[in-house]
Order: sequence, then structure tokens, then C-alpha cells
Amino acid sequence: MERWPLMDLFIDWIYTTRLSWFVNSFPWVWPTLESLHFCALTVLAGTVGLFDLRVLGLVKGITPSALHTTVRWGVIAFIVSAITGVMFISGASEQYFYNDAFRLKVMFLALMGANAALFYWREFARIQALGPRDEAPSSAKFIAAASLVFLVGVMLCGRMLTFFRPPFFH
Amino acid sequence: MIELLANVEQTALSVWVRESPSLLAFPFILFLHTLGLAMLAGLNVGIDAWLLGRRKLPPFDLPNLYRVMWLGFGINALSGVVLLAAYPAKALTNWVFFAKLLFITIALWVLQQLKGELAVAGGTAERDVSGRALRLALASLLLWTATIFAGRLLAYTHHILLVSEGL
Repeated sequence: MERWPLMDLFIDWIYTTRLSWFVNSFPWVWPTLESLHFCALTVLAGTVGLFDLRVLGLVKGITPSALHTTVRWGVIAFIVSAITGVMFISGASEQYFYNDAFRLKVMFLALMGANAALFYWREFARIQALGPRDEAPSSAKFIAAASLVFLVGVMLCGRMLTFFRPPFFH
Repeated sequence: MIELLANVEQTALSVWVRESPSLLAFPFILFLHTLGLAMLAGLNVGIDAWLLGRRKLPPFDLPNLYRVMWLGFGINALSGVVLLAAYPAKALTNWVFFAKLLFITIALWVLQQLKGELAVAGGTAERDVSGRALRLALASLLLWTATIFAGRLLAYTHHILLVSEGL
């Protein structure tokens, strides 16, 4: 993989930060960050996934608005994921910036964000008005299905990161 | 015991998972393990979070949700066995692995107990969330957190990676 001078300058700067020093100076930091990142992923997948499954019609008898309260936990989990993710990058920048799996993961994250924005813009008001056994409109189901696909994409690429490390990363 | 582990390490499945350059070997099996975690622990945590924020339980259909979670458990169990076959000594000589199994077992028991509490709400009217349901939800959150920490720490706490290398 070809190295980019500007990218390397940026990486060199990252390694001078206190955050990078903190991540790399204590052996317990990286495993703790990994554990927190996985906990956050689990909460995000579970809360958003639960709501998506209701919109898709798999969990009936409860209004989507009642289940939507769990999405707050999903937002907190996403923030924890983002913070721990930034800490990973500060500790081993080359592993991420020169990694195709990481680029794909960022793409899936962007798609997840755009998909969520589309949902709140186009479908949220209609979904909130649904009764316990009402079917969601097809357009909302499509967005919920896409949300699950993008979430699986994020997990897949996250897991593949290690196997797409650049050869010059140690 | 060590010889048995060494024999397992030399099986075709173990060698393939460990040494194949294919992304369908170790990387994909690891992904399946994460997918199963999201389906089982994720949805369980989703239910816990929802339950802890409520005073009343509406009646809702549980079977489909539990089917998805048990499918997640099936994926996790199968991928877990294959990962164990790849590095049996790494896991079986580390107490953290057994702690993880214990946490999972208790978490699954709690999940079934929670089903009983939620199924009570399967009538036609809303009911109060019981204190037991809240305690189970909280225990479930703690158990899955402990499971995830134990799973991640496995990579950092093992003393032996492969026994067959030293024989």
C-alpha cells in the first residue's frame, strides 16, 4: 500500500498528542477500550435493532413510539463507540488510515447516519402515530431493513480491520 | 490433557481455521461470533433498557423476538466451538474463558426468567412492571457486560497459544 506524505504528517502529529501517549503508555488501556467499544456496539445494535424489528413487523403488540425510548440508549452507546474509536485511532493511526476495511466501516457509518436522518425526516411522525398492531408503511420498513444491513456492515468491517492492516504497521 | 489439546490443534478443522489465508476462515468466523453477540446480547440488552425505563408493561408478541435471540445464540455457539477448536489450549488453560461461560449460562437463565415476567404481560391490558422484572433486567445488563469484558480479555490473559508447537 502506497504511503501518502500528507497523511503521514497528520499521523505523526497524532502521535505527539497526550491522548496518543495515554493510549500507548498503559497496557490496560487498549483492552479496556476494546471491551467498552464492544459493549457500546452491543447496546447500539440491541436498541436500534429492537426498534427496527418493530418497524419491520417482527415485534407486534407494542407501539413503535413505546420502543423508541430505547433509542436514547443507542445514542449514548454511539457516543461511547465514537470516543473509544477516536482513542484507538490516536494509539495506532496507521492501522486505520491505511486500511481498506476501516474506510468501508466509515462508509457504512455514514450510510447509517444518512439513513437515520432520512427516517426522522420522512417517516418518524407517521411511525409515532402507529398503534400496537399497526403495520408500518413499506417505505419505513425499507429504511429499517437498510439500518440493519448497515449495522451488520459496520460490524463486519470492524472485525476485518485486523486482517487488512498495512504491511508496514507493527 | 495437553496431548488431547495438541491432537485437537492438529485436526483439519483447527488447522484450516487457524492457517487458511481465506477471509472465510478465521476472520469470517470471528465476524459470525460478533453477529451472534449483537443478536443475542444486543436484543437482550435492548429489552433490558426498555424495561428499566417503564412503569407499565404493554402486552406484546415475544416469540419472534426470542427466536431471533436464540438464532443469535446458535450462531454464537457454533462459531464459538470452531474458534475453540482453532486454539483449544489458549481458552481451556485460562480461567477467564470459564468465567465467560459461567456469565453466559447465568445470562441465558436470566433471559428465560425475564421471558416469564414479560409473558405475564401477554394478556390484553397493561400491567405494572414487577420489581423482579427490573432486578432481572439489571442483572442481565451486568452479566452481558461481564461476558463481553471476559471475551475481550481472553486475547490478553492467555498463557499458552498452541501446545502442539512446544511438543
